[in-house]
Amino acid sequence: MSDSIFVTSLGIVSGVGVGIDKTLDSLLSLYSGVGKLKYLNTFHNEIPCSEVQLSDEEIKNILNITEDEIITRTSLLGILAAKEAYDNAEFSNCKKLNLRIGFINGTTVGGMEKSERYYADFINPESNKYNGFIDAHDCGACTEKIADYLDDFDFVSTTSTACSSAVNTIILASNLIKAGILDCVIAGGTECLSLFHLNGFNTLMILDPQQCRPFDASRAGLNLGEGAAYLVLENEKSMNLRHSKPICKIAGWGNSCDAFHQTASSPDGKGATLSMQKAIDMSGLKLTDIDYINAHGTGTLNNDESEGTAVMNVFGNQVPPISSTKSFTGHTTSAAGSVESVISILAMQHDFLPPNLMFKNKIEKLNFTPIQNLVKNVKVNNILNNSFGFGGNNSSIIYSKID
Amino acid sequence: MAVYIRGTGNISIQNTLGKKGIDEPISYSDPYVHCLEPDFKNFISPIALRRMSSIIKRAITASLVCVKESGIDCPDAIVSGTGLGCIEDTEKFLKAMIDNKEQFLQPTYFIQSTHNTISSQIALQLKCHSYNNTYSHRGISFELALMDVFILFKMGNIKSALVAGHDEMTPNYFLQLKKVDFWKNQITNSLEIHKSTTPGSFAGEGNVCFMLSDIADEKNYAEIANVKMLYKIKNEDELFSSISDFLAESNLTANDIDVLMSGVSGDVNTDPTYYNLSNKLFSNSLHAYYKNLCGEFFTAPAFGLWSAATCLKNNKVLDIQKLNSVHKEKIKTVLLYNQYKNKNHSLILLK
Repeated sequence: MSDSIFVTSLGIVSGVGVGIDKTLDSLLSLYSGVGKLKYLNTFHNEIPCSEVQLSDEEIKNILNITEDEIITRTSLLGILAAKEAYDNAEFSNCKKLNLRIGFINGTTVGGMEKSERYYADFINPESNKYNGFIDAHDCGACTEKIADYLDDFDFVSTTSTACSSAVNTIILASNLIKAGILDCVIAGGTECLSLFHLNGFNTLMILDPQQCRPFDASRAGLNLGEGAAYLVLENEKSMNLRHSKPICKIAGWGNSCDAFHQTASSPDGKGATLSMQKAIDMSGLKLTDIDYINAHGTGTLNNDESEGTAVMNVFGNQVPPISSTKSFTGHTTSAAGSVESVISILAMQHDFLPPNLMFKNKIEKLNFTPIQNLVKNVKVNNILNNSFGFGGNNSSIIYSKID
Repeated sequence: MAVYIRGTGNISIQNTLGKKGIDEPISYSDPYVHCLEPDFKNFISPIALRRMSSIIKRAITASLVCVKESGIDCPDAIVSGTGLGCIEDTEKFLKAMIDNKEQFLQPTYFIQSTHNTISSQIALQLKCHSYNNTYSHRGISFELALMDVFILFKMGNIKSALVAGHDEMTPNYFLQLKKVDFWKNQITNSLEIHKSTTPGSFAGEGNVCFMLSDIADEKNYAEIANVKMLYKIKNEDELFSSISDFLAESNLTANDIDVLMSGVSGDVNTDPTYYNLSNKLFSNSLHAYYKNLCGEFFTAPAFGLWSAATCLKNNKVLDIQKLNSVHKEKIKTVLLYNQYKNKNHSLILLK
């Protein structure tokens, strides 16, 4: 039996739309979700972000969750995306077939969007008004809320490595399957916008007052986004029993620490170079086999130059077609790795390469320019996806078409 | 490939970093206890110290002690579990943001607020570019970190790993968790917390690090034979059969377990699970516990692993840790079992 890890289903929600179909439409019609804030109530409402265009109440309605249920927006977005992956995979038959199932989630903000709202009551010894949300605040609580909505999972886990969280969940899921501990796993990340991280990124002065321009010489920072995305991963045994159809497989992964600075990336892109190299080594692919790189590409001065340098370290003068899709979705932080994995896999399935919106001028130090126009009718066999987080948590993953 | 505990570093509410260890345990009569901190200047440069929050200082110090004891200065993986992450800095940024209505904020506390700050700062200190990860999942945060590296060892991806549990408790978070029934109103003697007849436990903190290695060496503390998590067990029968299955994976039965090191915390709502397990399935094993020494916190099981490994190394269980009178001449196998809210269960088998 092959010990490959197969991707058999996808689910996504972000500023460009709810669900796979809407996301695909948005990518092909170059629709960006970055715009004026509508749902997050902030002093800084002039900062453009990419919000999911649904209120908590509207999401609860869609999911048949009662209005008074104590649940965070991070969990609501998570359920919305995970349910799509779950339903499309007909995941509910797993337990009947005695398959061991897991839900592996990534988040950092967790329930902060509610906690910041109710904090005065939280720390007032006399108030018990929002006690329910105290126990909904931590990352693990958000994960279990999603897991328990969907099924009776044998295993749940929460990774919290900031903006690389979701790729690390896919790595853990692959390893748990490969080690024979689980058969069928839903893995990915979720994060809603909060005042906490909007203000946090704002103090770092890395939020672009306009739509972000990754890899452009004039780039001025990132746009925050919110969203969630999940992949269903299975081993061959599970696929055979469930008659699932594979979309692609996980060919390799790399995780490395830049160990340079808490928030800045190293000028030589050491950590990013290592994570890409490890992923490629594990996959056994040649550099020329990589047809597309979905870059982390946040649009900050520091990330794009450092990541670009790392890409040059690995690929030399033959950098494959590359783009950052963050000018579509914004930077969905802990969900970015799975949001962009789903986007990449959609490109593989539908033979296109998403462009790097807003790009005009090359960064002088780099020897490549990102994809500027939507590329159609192109075979995309192997994709390298990068996700980098605060603290130099760098992760890369490769998805390959099934021969 | 076997996985051994080669070194440890432990900062807790006991003198675990000093030579005395837990031989002269400290009793507390307050339900909210802080770590005993060493003189950090002996470990970290003064310039670096100025920028670090308490949890980071402690995490790095415990890691450095662990590195020194093991002789491994750049492990193939650095993985942490933390239930709340850097909650002190998170609260500082949150409070400033609310008080100043989102204006005039400084980035420092935000930068250090994310859960992965701990693993990252350790990597930065050790100048170590290897695999780096962080788990934050309530009462199984540490066990997930351990499981991650355990699998990487078994798949042959790594030969060494620094794995740890890190948690701090702030006054505000203590208050919040008190409102949702985590803590007792008062305690008289933390060392005898198992005698309590009320719900909740007492709050501790901890930074407990382990250097794991595939090198067999008589100086090692113990071998980690297996790790497993269970979620939403339906009843006691299912729990017992799951634990038996777990032991069977290592060709063992309950009778082979010398010490059951359980998560008894003095909480009348959850302790019966541990006593039933001891009485019904592990009646021939010495039942011991550790939360009387470290208090309750999300990554307390890391202290449990330290305690279990120390028992194996010294062939000794402290009298204050014993919950039954089963006597064992030689301690060869320890099962560590903890549960969180009767929902998350973790098993670690040590030899």
